[in-house]
Amino acid sequence: MQDTVVFLSQTVPEGRVFGLDTQTLISIGIQLFNAIILAVALGFILYNPVKDFLRKRTEGIQKKIDDSDAAMLKAKELIAEYDAKIKEIDKERLEILEATRLKASEESKLILEDAKLEAVEIKKRSADSVSAEKSRLKEETRIYIIELASLMAKKYITENIDEDTQEKLFEESLAKMEGAKWQS
Amino acid sequence: MILNIDNLWVLNVAGVEVWITETIFNTWLIMLFLIVLAVIARIKLKSFEVIPTGCQNVIESVVEIFDNFAGDALGEKLSYISPWYFMVFVYLLTSCVFSIFGFRAPSADWATTFALALASFSLMLIMGFKHRKGQYLKSFFEPHFIFFPLNLIGELAKPVSLSFRLFGNMLSGTIILTLYYALTPLFVQFGIPVFLHAFFDVVFGAIQTYIFVIISLMYVRGAAAD
Repeated sequence: MQDTVVFLSQTVPEGRVFGLDTQTLISIGIQLFNAIILAVALGFILYNPVKDFLRKRTEGIQKKIDDSDAAMLKAKELIAEYDAKIKEIDKERLEILEATRLKASEESKLILEDAKLEAVEIKKRSADSVSAEKSRLKEETRIYIIELASLMAKKYITENIDEDTQEKLFEESLAKMEGAKWQS
Repeated sequence: MILNIDNLWVLNVAGVEVWITETIFNTWLIMLFLIVLAVIARIKLKSFEVIPTGCQNVIESVVEIFDNFAGDALGEKLSYISPWYFMVFVYLLTSCVFSIFGFRAPSADWATTFALALASFSLMLIMGFKHRKGQYLKSFFEPHFIFFPLNLIGELAKPVSLSFRLFGNMLSGTIILTLYYALTPLFVQFGIPVFLHAFFDVVFGAIQTYIFVIISLMYVRGAAAD
């Protein structure tokens, strides 16, 4: 029994509350060793793995937040870009509209001027036509009046003048016409 | 309930007598309990989800709350020693809870409290010399070199005061409960002691655990701070 390194003693001393001796120092040593074992075990088995898990999850969430922020920033940039493009397009549209309006106005002016000229021309032509018609009608009227006067004269002569007088008047008229022809 | 810390076995190791006290045996029980819990938690960790539920919430909360607490007290630079204080916190708290079930709290033994205080003192010295090097040694001679004995006593008193504070508080609860059991008739020794144990062991124990850990953290931070 005495040769073995560790053995249980047959007599166990009575317990105590507190003492400053070798046994207390040994107990402190054992408790310190126990504490180290427990710290290492809890650290490796529980504390550090859970901490790593929490850290990784936090990083993952942070990454997602960062990605979302980056996407948001990009979206904002795109919106700003689109807004600028829309403004540019609006500006261009207004410019085109203005240019078109100006062109239309100029064309309208030209058309109006042409129309005016044409109207003047038509008016002139109408006036000429009216004048020509007037002359033609005047001539026709004159011929008609002459014919009518001749007819009236003929009728009057037929009804009121005898044959001798008719001949006499005819002779005089003929003489006058000949006289006029000779003079011309 | 008796006040003495019983010796369960006496080992003879190479001619040196080693008493295996009730404290040491209870510490082994607590260690076994905590390690089994840690292993179960570790197994559960494999199935942890991004959004925690049930048991995962408890495990995450325990680790995260303590990590934030230790991180705030120690700072980013010293946060790598937080697993040690996690062990101290969990061990002391569990030993308080164990006393409800009739086990003598290991923290009611000066050997336990001094072992933990000695470890904190050692960490304090190691961190002080590691992070401040000569400056830490110089702090023992400030404001003048004649203050060295006072500074040295002040530093050596730290683990002693730390250990006796916890030991005294835990022992006081044990003494009060021993007196209660010794002085009261048998019919009031059922039911009522539960509340006394809950108050003196758990509430006092939790407060003293917090105080022990926060003071230890402050000592270490104070030694390592620039």
